[in-house]
Amino acid sequence: MSAFLTYLLNGLAVGCAIALIASGLVVIHRVTGVVNFAQGTFAVVAGLCTSSLLGLGFPHGASEVAAVLAATVAGLLTGLAAIGKPGVTPLSALIVTLGVGVLAYAVEIVLWGDQPRSAPGLAGAVTVAGARVQTQYLLVIGVTALTFVALALFFGRTYLGKALTACASNPYAARVVGIDTRRMGLLAFALGGLLGGIAGVLVTPLRPISFDTDVTLIVNGFAAAVFGALTRPVITLAGALLLGVAETMAAGYGYGSHQLEIALGLMLIVMIVQAGRRTTISEEPA
Amino acid sequence: MIEVRDLVVSYGTATALEHVSLDVAKGEMVALLGPNGAGKSTLANTLAGLLRPASGTVGVGGRLALIPEGRQLFPDLSVADNLVLGGWRSGERDPSFVYELLPRLAEVARRPARVLSGGEQQMVAFGRAMMSRPSVLVVDELSLGLAPRVITDLAGHLAALNRSQGLTVLLIEQNARLAFELCGRAYVLESGRVVAEGDCADLADDPKVAGAYLGGAIT
Amino acid sequence: MIRLVAGVLAAAVTLALPAVLDDSALAVYILLGLAAMVTVGVSLLMGYAGQVSLGQGAFYAVGAYTAALLALNGVPPLAGLVAAPVAAALFAVVIGLPLLRLRGHHLAFATLATQLILLSLAGQLEFTGGDIGLQAIPQFGVGSVEFGDAAAYAYLTWFGVAVVMLLTHNVITSRPGRALRALATSETAAASAGIPVGRYKLTVFALSAAFAGLAGGVYCFYTGYVAPGSFPVLISIQYIVMAVVGGLGTIWGAVAGAAAITLLVQGLDQLAGLPGMPSYAPSVLSYAVYALVLIVVVLFLPQGLVPALTGRLSRTRTDPPVETR
Repeated sequence: MSAFLTYLLNGLAVGCAIALIASGLVVIHRVTGVVNFAQGTFAVVAGLCTSSLLGLGFPHGASEVAAVLAATVAGLLTGLAAIGKPGVTPLSALIVTLGVGVLAYAVEIVLWGDQPRSAPGLAGAVTVAGARVQTQYLLVIGVTALTFVALALFFGRTYLGKALTACASNPYAARVVGIDTRRMGLLAFALGGLLGGIAGVLVTPLRPISFDTDVTLIVNGFAAAVFGALTRPVITLAGALLLGVAETMAAGYGYGSHQLEIALGLMLIVMIVQAGRRTTISEEPA
Repeated sequence: MIEVRDLVVSYGTATALEHVSLDVAKGEMVALLGPNGAGKSTLANTLAGLLRPASGTVGVGGRLALIPEGRQLFPDLSVADNLVLGGWRSGERDPSFVYELLPRLAEVARRPARVLSGGEQQMVAFGRAMMSRPSVLVVDELSLGLAPRVITDLAGHLAALNRSQGLTVLLIEQNARLAFELCGRAYVLESGRVVAEGDCADLADDPKVAGAYLGGAIT
Repeated sequence: MIRLVAGVLAAAVTLALPAVLDDSALAVYILLGLAAMVTVGVSLLMGYAGQVSLGQGAFYAVGAYTAALLALNGVPPLAGLVAAPVAAALFAVVIGLPLLRLRGHHLAFATLATQLILLSLAGQLEFTGGDIGLQAIPQFGVGSVEFGDAAAYAYLTWFGVAVVMLLTHNVITSRPGRALRALATSETAAASAGIPVGRYKLTVFALSAAFAGLAGGVYCFYTGYVAPGSFPVLISIQYIVMAVVGGLGTIWGAVAGAAAITLLVQGLDQLAGLPGMPSYAPSVLSYAVYALVLIVVVLFLPQGLVPALTGRLSRTRTDPPVETR
């Protein structure tokens, strides 16, 4: 039983990291219509930055914040490439973000080499209802919860957040009232970078990260976002937690080598079921 | 207030507006008539800066607000949020003056815009445009799909704002009776060209215009 | 007439090259041909069915493993080589039936997921040799004639390229092919015009998979081994780069795109191998080139580099209305 609880809490933490990546995907997709393939890259950039900064002797806190800022800048740059030029279709923009992700490989290898790197996180473990859980897992859950509350407040209560929602809700109307939808799209990309960065900073102490970890991250994030049809943050969060728990349980009970297949299989099934429910016409790509 | 000279707007190879010239003086209410596909909404979007002219010039003195065809609200946002976002350009964040003008909106302020009736939605679109504190208002199809009583109401508000605040209005309409009632002058747009212009009284007497736009029993 | 002369000339050069190239140049020549085979399929899929596959490497892998397994179990190599595209096409039909209901980014991720699942399985299953893969695959041969040298594989590869190009040409110029053109621009319009969209899409998907499978089959005989590491996700992205550079939906463009990228990366490898260059230089340079070429072509030459250079398509392009910010 206590093993089950340990797996559950670990799984929730893994799910939280996926949720952060996925929420970045959702924010960007809602505002711009683009699926950002470089979303996993932001987490990798932040993770590698933290490991370097901590290695150079910078204190905890400052290192993590600086790493998240670096990821935010990466998000903004990705946005400039993907939607900076007018008239690029969402699918072309997806291919551009794919290119950005590969370009990041080159930069990352030059800066950090091609071997996985880790970073020290919160040391120690605590016992929750008889289950031992590493403190870092609890930190991941706590920070993710705070981030989601902050996101909800930002989109629901602030003027800028409402303007972003307006762009998602009716881009033409947003332009009618004078909102610069392209600038809002860039803001969404920066926000996506921030969210990916938080995920990277949280995950690096748990799982060493290397330049090509982004594929696993983006695929898991996309799988979770698909649960919410790439537009609904709450269902995305639920999907991410489910995915994290399912993968961790599979690993815990001896099917560790099949983690990826489980995530991908779930994603395929959800997508196919969703596609079956939609009419052909409403799904015509723009 | 609005000065359009020799305006050409095209979509790819198709030309939507061909050498259109049009003037609206400060404090004037002018109507723009024409059938579907004449280029009326293209002109509205160009005036609002959403489309770029291929050639010619568009001059607008002061802030212009557009009430677009089909309301174009933010369906998922509340009525209050729709209004507040209307103040994006002006910095106006307090919609209470809109609620005074249109008390019905105060009652539905917290509801999402998509659940409102057509008339209420047009009120939101109207209020949202007013939130930008405009000196020129372009109204694209005020009356389309609305009940006569709602149209009279909204038209009354428009006329009152024109009288009391000197709001300049370009009213794009298919309903010529309403347009002639409210406006002093009118332009008639067909296939992207201005085919007639002048005082509404004269245009109403013109058999061609009257036959095309006053023939049906509207309002 | 000019096209015919150009075609004959290209064929003559293609046939003459294996006789004059040394072994290392032949290796590049063979890999180029294999990439061209896959790229023609990707270009067909993207240009004619309007779909992005991020998992074309999966079909390449299916072809390679099929041919390798058959050859290792005593089946004549020729039968193995024929089975490779058939298996890849069958696999495409099986996964395509559910997956092709997806569009745009959904299909892109679904195909990527397929490749990742396949690689993960190949790395774990016993009969595929796990992470080590399959080794000591016999040489290709027909009857008693065994392919001993690289030149023979070069002829085999480019014979395959010719078959792939001819098939694609016939598909494009057929009546269904012209209907497919409509598919790429608007599926709804195509469907309402009575075109059996689903069946055509599946056919193109299976055909592009068969091309990749054929390339995989040749690859396994040429190198003598296959392993999951031979088919990274990047290989699928590479085919997209090649197709995009060549101009989507063009046969010669796809071959030219494959040639341009292969030679460019090869040249950079030479450069990166110069003394004084860091050990990571080859991978960094090739990543950077793939990325920059992809981004620049998609953004600034959406009709592809080859058509842009020949200027054939640029004159018929219509511009969308200019929108201000």
